[in-house]
Amino acid sequence: MVSLVGIAPWSPEIVLVAAALLVFLLDTVGVKRSELFAGLASGAAALALLFVVADAGFAPFALVRTVDPSAVDAAPAGGLYAFSSLGLLFQAIFLLTAFFVALASASRPSDEKGSAIFHGLLLIATTGMLFVAVAADLVFLVLAIEVTSIATYLMVGYTRRDPRSLEAAMKFYIIGALSTALSFFGVSLLYGAFHSTSLVALSGALGGTTQPTLALLGFGFLLVGLGFKVTAVPFHAWAVDVYDGAPTDVSAFLAGGSKKIGVFAFFLVFIGPIAFFDARGAHCLTACGSVYNFHPTLAVSLGVLAILTMTIGNLLALMQRSMKRMLAYSSISQAGYMLIGIAVGTAPALAGATLQVFAHVFMKAGAFLLVAGFATIGIGPLIDDYRGLGARRPKASVAFALMLLSLAGIPLTVGFVSKFILFSAAVQAQGFFLVLAIAGLLNSAVSVFYYARVLKVMFMDRAEPVPAPLPGPPVAGGSEPAVLAAGGFGYGRATAIALATIAIVVFGIYPQPLIAAFQSAAEHFVLTGA
Amino acid sequence: MTVSFDGVFAVAYLVPLFPAIAFVVVGLFGTRLRRLEWGGWVAVFFSGLAMVLSLVIALGEGLNPGKFTDQTYTWLSLPHSGTGAFPGGFSLVMGTLVDPISALMLVVVNVVGFLVMLYSIGYMHHDKGLPRYYAELSLFLTAMNGLVLSDNLLEFFLFWELVGVCSYFLIGFYYEKPSAASAAKEAFLVTRIGDVLFLLGIFIYFAVYATAGAAPGWAASGFLFTSNGHPFLGTLVGTNTPLLTVAGLMMLAGAAGKSAQFPLHVWLPDAMEGPTTVSALIHAATMVAAGVYLLAVTSLFLGFTPADQLAIVAIGGFTTLFAATMALVHRDIKRVIAYSTISQLGYMVLAVGAGFTMVGLFHLWTHAFFKALLFLAAGSVIHAVGTQDLFRMGGLGRKMRLTTIAFAVGGLSLAGIPPFAGFWSKDDVLGSVLSQTASHPLYWPFFLCALITVFLTAYYIFRAFFLAFSGAAPRDASLPEAHEPPWVMRLPLVVLSGLAIVAGLLVFIPGFPNLLPGANVPPTYGTADLFLSGLSTALGVGGIGVAYSLWGNGRVFALPESSPFQPVRRLWLRLYFMKDAYDWIGLRGVYTIARAADFVDRYVIDGTIHGVERTFAELSRRLRKIQTGVVSDYAAYVVAGLAAFLLLLIFVAPWFLHAWGV
Repeated sequence: MVSLVGIAPWSPEIVLVAAALLVFLLDTVGVKRSELFAGLASGAAALALLFVVADAGFAPFALVRTVDPSAVDAAPAGGLYAFSSLGLLFQAIFLLTAFFVALASASRPSDEKGSAIFHGLLLIATTGMLFVAVAADLVFLVLAIEVTSIATYLMVGYTRRDPRSLEAAMKFYIIGALSTALSFFGVSLLYGAFHSTSLVALSGALGGTTQPTLALLGFGFLLVGLGFKVTAVPFHAWAVDVYDGAPTDVSAFLAGGSKKIGVFAFFLVFIGPIAFFDARGAHCLTACGSVYNFHPTLAVSLGVLAILTMTIGNLLALMQRSMKRMLAYSSISQAGYMLIGIAVGTAPALAGATLQVFAHVFMKAGAFLLVAGFATIGIGPLIDDYRGLGARRPKASVAFALMLLSLAGIPLTVGFVSKFILFSAAVQAQGFFLVLAIAGLLNSAVSVFYYARVLKVMFMDRAEPVPAPLPGPPVAGGSEPAVLAAGGFGYGRATAIALATIAIVVFGIYPQPLIAAFQSAAEHFVLTGA
Repeated sequence: MTVSFDGVFAVAYLVPLFPAIAFVVVGLFGTRLRRLEWGGWVAVFFSGLAMVLSLVIALGEGLNPGKFTDQTYTWLSLPHSGTGAFPGGFSLVMGTLVDPISALMLVVVNVVGFLVMLYSIGYMHHDKGLPRYYAELSLFLTAMNGLVLSDNLLEFFLFWELVGVCSYFLIGFYYEKPSAASAAKEAFLVTRIGDVLFLLGIFIYFAVYATAGAAPGWAASGFLFTSNGHPFLGTLVGTNTPLLTVAGLMMLAGAAGKSAQFPLHVWLPDAMEGPTTVSALIHAATMVAAGVYLLAVTSLFLGFTPADQLAIVAIGGFTTLFAATMALVHRDIKRVIAYSTISQLGYMVLAVGAGFTMVGLFHLWTHAFFKALLFLAAGSVIHAVGTQDLFRMGGLGRKMRLTTIAFAVGGLSLAGIPPFAGFWSKDDVLGSVLSQTASHPLYWPFFLCALITVFLTAYYIFRAFFLAFSGAAPRDASLPEAHEPPWVMRLPLVVLSGLAIVAGLLVFIPGFPNLLPGANVPPTYGTADLFLSGLSTALGVGGIGVAYSLWGNGRVFALPESSPFQPVRRLWLRLYFMKDAYDWIGLRGVYTIARAADFVDRYVIDGTIHGVERTFAELSRRLRKIQTGVVSDYAAYVVAGLAAFLLLLIFVAPWFLHAWGV
């Protein structure tokens, strides 16, 4: 009898892959029902989420725990993977995004072409994301990112007929391939400097490398490769075309989920070793002889990247007339806020950045899902097409308004909580980081302008005479499902949007348990460095 | 027998929540009701619930004297980092603190609140915008209860601003009337001066005490007032440093704005533009007392320095006399009572300043009842005859017996005639301040101000009484036939009359003087000075006698034109020219500055902003051109970005760090 004990920790991944295979199998044997695939995908995501939440130490689910609690947050011992509370939190965030997207896509037309590809790839991509969250080795990390990337390239173009989606997929693929090459080159340079690809070994060796410049070059290449993932400026240009051209549900997954693996990869590559160095610093200063402290150099460079990213993202969002492009640029500027957390690198800052990632599931993925829903009821792709929507669609409009307010960081929304923790952490770190906090605040102020403009258009501007619902597929993204006869979003999408909206408000009013959990996970991460 | 009231104290948050429900219900659905008064009954019902609960809380607090029950909910808590302004981290919390003074205030707010709500059903019957009225009044009760129950300074300030906003709305309830709209603005702006200084004071306390108190420190605990039934700052309360003196003065400024103390008193008489019910609840019994409550809270949990105390005594004592003189000559019944309110608030400030927190709050307690009574009785008169001009009234006593008795009871209480409620509290204020004059000779002039004011108070309130009610018939024959109001208005008058007679008995409850245990017990005045009591009673009776001889039985006293007192009278009628002075300052000073600012704004700031705006737009346009849509361009950006990033990493960042000094 083969023991199954060894594979228990991989239950979430196994569930996802099994569901993906089942979807492809059903498609092959001729069962082509979009709701069925969506149900399978959201069910698998929910089950995996249950495992992950149990592993993360959430007591009510302790029975389904699959990872030995003593293995979580253990001191790193080498090897390809390691379980950390923060990684598990990220896994939960990824699964939550996948769940929302799958749930909302249940409202896509039942006979949609390529539905199996979309849902199967969604699960595969999510599997890759889960791997990223447990990586403890550079090669493992970059390969896991590749699993996700390749799946998402295909997802962007899954409709096959829409040239804009295909073009977006092609751009995504080419720039993605370039970035992967850069990442691997960085990894090889780091191997040259440290004679290992293990993040743990890297941490241990970091204080005493004899080739700091080589190591810095390696870090540089790797960070640029990852910068593509998190859409850091100037490696962001693909994102707008892709988010705009992809089917909007896919955009939701990209912006709310897959892009965030870059954030965790940054944590691993950047914070892990540095934290380890800081923890060992005193010891090393006396024992290791020549100590090269990378932290300030990397922090300043990342800080510059953060300022560039949020400022340019915001500037470009200001002038957008298309809703999806505005959201895409806003997504870029929000990545800048997360980079602040990485540059600061303290436990509160990591907690803040993770909170920001968490908030994004509800506010950014939610906003894209809602825009997709609006497209299905015949609302055009431009911001001006939302004129007077508040009167016609009060519930959906209020949900959208809450998401935008949360993105802008208005109090009593979850977006305020995450920004508050993030910027406060930067202020507390003082010195150069104060500059980051001020830049973040100024950018938040600027961003209110373009979010508020949408609110004004929706609620203040008088609606023009309502045009008859467009017959046939509307134009947004070119590949939206047909207008639903009932004139609603469908139950799946409506449920996903309602859940996201409730989460925004509930976590905005009652954030303390969330903050405590994220803070303790971040502290473990900073201490153990993996 | 001991009954545990912990369960009741734990649900104290329901007190503000009940009127909040009324606010939401009436605010959202009020206009859809078939009959608009129904919204009023909803508000009455929920304020009644709040009143019952606050009475139970007060009973529990009375049976467990000196119990502090703090229920805190942490909204946001920033982890500690060991550096920065708040090295222990800091928290934003909301909570309820039930203690003797908040229990006392809860009773005041909700009993008067409920009675005024009920009274409004009759009084506001003919008005338009009823749902708006009841929604705003309910919101006010929510905010006021929230303020009273606040367990930390930030929450206190939040609700403080909210009651200010409600006051603004309600003063301007008749917003079509230009005078009401401008009075609302005036009230908002003048109190805002105090609010800004108050906020500054809060910041000073935060900065000074960030890490003080029990672990994990004041900031990390959310700037709470108490911890484990004692002031959070413990022995630090009342620390005497110049910076804390300034902070205390800032708190005084905030209180002076809200409680209409000199020199920020100008808004309160004009606030009488609002409905009389609003004047009774907000501008007599509760919101204006919030300033006194702020001083009480500050003195208990943060402490004042001796210099602060002298400043508070000076402001309070001077205001009593200053406002009373203006009340002597006015002919608008509501304005007379409004100046009286300012004057009486001065008594409370005086007592708190002299260190007798509980005495000040005792006067707040009795004053709330008899002043609300006076306003509601005046409202009953206004409701009947449709004018506020005392000189057009007269002889109403025959037609409105109940209202007459109610006004008389309120007047006797205000004049401090035993055994009415006002006597006990005013006597305590005078006696307690007098007891401090031996050690603080500088208190003498302000004690004398307060003493003289007793005479003036009795005179002006009975001048108003005789003008309105005595005589055979109204001096203005065109007034409509007076009639007693409906029962919804009579009932509050009866209840408040009863309270205006017996509320002073609170002082005889055993343990009342010792309701505030803890690290720093403010001195409580417990001895009676019979000579002083006799003197102040004599002054009160004398005031009434003078008023009777000049105005009684329908007489109208006219100061001869040749009288040397004419200039003084004109000075009072013109309100010491302070409004003119403020207008002058406003016009000449502020307007000139505004013109200059406008110039700067137009040509410098706007220029800059438009410049920035154009720059941003231009930048945005240029940047958009980067987004060519051509994938090889994007690849080029990545490669160029890579080169730049590597340069940054290897050359620029180390150089920058070197320059920064890391």
